[in-house]
Amino acid sequence: MDYEAQLKLQAHLDGELPEGEAREVTNWLARDREAVALYGELRNTRQALVGYEVGVALPESREFFWSKIEREIRRLKPPETPVHPAPLLSAWRKWLIPAGTVAAVASAVLVGVFGETRISTVETAVADPAAFTYHDYSSRTTLVWFSYPADDELADRTPAAIVE
Amino acid sequence: MADKDYSSTDDPTLVRAAQRGDMAAFEELVVRHRDKIYARALTMMRNEEEAIDLSQEAWVKGWQRLKQFQGEASFGTWMTRIVINLCLDQLRKQKRQRAESIEEIDEESGGVERQMPVVTVNPTAGLERQELRQRIDQALNQLSYEHRTVLVLHQFEEMEYKQIARTMGCSIGTVMSRLFYARRKLAALLADLKKRDER
Repeated sequence: MDYEAQLKLQAHLDGELPEGEAREVTNWLARDREAVALYGELRNTRQALVGYEVGVALPESREFFWSKIEREIRRLKPPETPVHPAPLLSAWRKWLIPAGTVAAVASAVLVGVFGETRISTVETAVADPAAFTYHDYSSRTTLVWFSYPADDELADRTPAAIVE
Repeated sequence: MADKDYSSTDDPTLVRAAQRGDMAAFEELVVRHRDKIYARALTMMRNEEEAIDLSQEAWVKGWQRLKQFQGEASFGTWMTRIVINLCLDQLRKQKRQRAESIEEIDEESGGVERQMPVVTVNPTAGLERQELRQRIDQALNQLSYEHRTVLVLHQFEEMEYKQIARTMGCSIGTVMSRLFYARRKLAALLADLKKRDER
């Protein structure tokens, strides 16, 4: 009997053969004593193992065994995150940050569009038509030019005063 | 000790309670299935201390993975698969640490069992359960872990060849060879033990 045939006998015993092949093996067993002997040995071994694990008991008390498991579970358990209501400030912060960003962008756009005319102005003082005053509100700067002759040449090009 | 009395609660209810974090329910599951889990670890490892440690580890893993348990199999079967996988990992580690013997190489190639004479008389007939268990213990101790595992998965887990192949990461042909060798070797060892007893 070759090895393939021996394995087929075993597969038949284990119910692993398709119906057709199982029938062939049954017929073979009916006429081959060697096959019957091997089949019997395999069956006896399988039978001997039935109930082998029955009655095996853990040699530790219930309390002791569980205490080890419980200790390990508690050791490995990730700490639970406390569930507190979010503080008012942090709740508002969530809303304020995007809103603030939007507001800043909107301001920048407005400044870009209207900034030239609203933020900087040039004025001529009525009391002194020869004096020009420049206000830059964004940098809180005021420059004053006097057009009449000064003591030195720099007066034509340099503001007379800077007021912040 | 459990605060609540779960002794009359069925397994699925206990599992659901344990999945919600009820450790008392899980303790009851441990109490119910600990012997079976330990027995399976002992059959595979052949060492009491390792079997206790691995069954304990299996329970801890079981708790950690409890949310994944969907109830496709019974809780006991699910836990048994966990302990089997842990035992397999451990046995593979142990195998890597020692050199493979010539006999094991022969076993893998499937040559030895063909030369064994067929055991025609049932060597376990008429034995008391305790005595039978002792003899099987002796015989199982002499099998390599691969052969023992195939036997355990087929005999006790009632797995089909293809399931065993998947679990052990080998071909169905290898499963068939290993199972065949394991059975033939076991038969020869049991016959030998019977002869020795009769002398």
